[in-house]
Amino acid sequence: MALSRRGGRSRFTLILLILTSITVITLDFRGDGAGLIGSVRDGAADALAPVRDFAANTLDPVGDALEGVTGYGDLEAENAELRARIAELEGAALLDEGAERELAEAQRLLDLDVAGDIPRVAARVVSTPVSNFEQTIELDQGSDDGVAVDMPVVSGAGLVGRVVGVTGRRSTVRLITDPASAVGVRLARSSEVAVAEGEGPERLLSLSFVDPDADVSVLELVITSGLDNSVFPPGIPVGRVAVSEPAPGQLERSVEVRPVADLARLRLVSVLQTGHRSR
Amino acid sequence: MTTAVRLPPVLLGAVIVHTAVAPQLRLFGVSADLLLLFAIAAGIATGADRGAAVGFGAGLLADCFLQTPFGLSALTYSLIAYGVGSFQSTILHTGRWIPMLTTLVASALGVALFSVSGLVLGEEHLLSTRLVTVAAVVAVVNALLSPLAVRLVRWAVTPQLVPGAVMR
Repeated sequence: MALSRRGGRSRFTLILLILTSITVITLDFRGDGAGLIGSVRDGAADALAPVRDFAANTLDPVGDALEGVTGYGDLEAENAELRARIAELEGAALLDEGAERELAEAQRLLDLDVAGDIPRVAARVVSTPVSNFEQTIELDQGSDDGVAVDMPVVSGAGLVGRVVGVTGRRSTVRLITDPASAVGVRLARSSEVAVAEGEGPERLLSLSFVDPDADVSVLELVITSGLDNSVFPPGIPVGRVAVSEPAPGQLERSVEVRPVADLARLRLVSVLQTGHRSR
Repeated sequence: MTTAVRLPPVLLGAVIVHTAVAPQLRLFGVSADLLLLFAIAAGIATGADRGAAVGFGAGLLADCFLQTPFGLSALTYSLIAYGVGSFQSTILHTGRWIPMLTTLVASALGVALFSVSGLVLGEEHLLSTRLVTVAAVVAVVNALLSPLAVRLVRWAVTPQLVPGAVMR
């Protein structure tokens, strides 16, 4: 009897917790990340920011060592791939120069805005993601420094991602390799317009909506298209085509892109202060 | 000292380690999910009822640092802690390896449940081939840390008898 009552109470607690969770999730969806729940998140992130900064600085060498041990096989594969790529790049140096010239010419001809004209905020990467499913980084600059949601983030080499969350002193950036990321792009030489989608850490971006008959060559530069409603201004280098294969019987060509920015070793980045919505 | 006094600082400590230390120490690119471990340990140490409540709190704290819907971790952790607590109450044998094995399985299930629940809520990116790696690493690391976590949670939630008090 007592056990039965205890089981009933236990189930009641669980149902109550499930209903509360669903209510909180609904509130988060309705508030679109703002409101009370947004404030709670911002407050928690800001409160722990100093501790996380300290831990990141202190444990960085240990983390690198651990990554080196567990990723030894990957490092060997990466070394072999890099050697092959060096040979490939040496042979294709002229092609690269041609692509750069094409990019400059395309920008001039299309009267594109270049990222260099846009005001920017320099930021330091202070933390890796807490989650195992998100490809995000945290920057040490927030809304107090002029950073807002949806602003693009670039490194010296090219596009890194976009800001998806901001607190007073910090911002969270979703990398272009995150499976939830999609960037409108244009192939610099063939002018094909496509969408570059993330496929996860250390994987190439995949291009969607590429015409099956398009002339897309390996090493071709991919830049942001800046088409309507895109948060990314046009002309920012995204990557270079690594795989371009016809897909017989398919409606689109199979194209994969290697990001030009070294997303695994980011230290300093710039947030481009383009038009934004506040959060 | 009572649970109300001990539990908050222990939970805060777990949050700090979970958000500041664990992400820096990754195995195969995956960090331990220490708040999920905390929820599971609560299920083992206190049973289904209180375990679910502690798991819910730990999940809400985890949600503060994620971009996924707020409450998703709370839902997942409370369900897992409840399941662990219910399972634990049916076991008569008390071998040392049982909490570790329970944590191993529950951690993998927790990661999978989080992904599937996220998928239901439109977070398609949570379900990918990487899920297997994440579930495996989280399960193994959490299982190794479980003896410490269970002792800590048991200390935090079990009321101490006042010296000199007499039970009649």
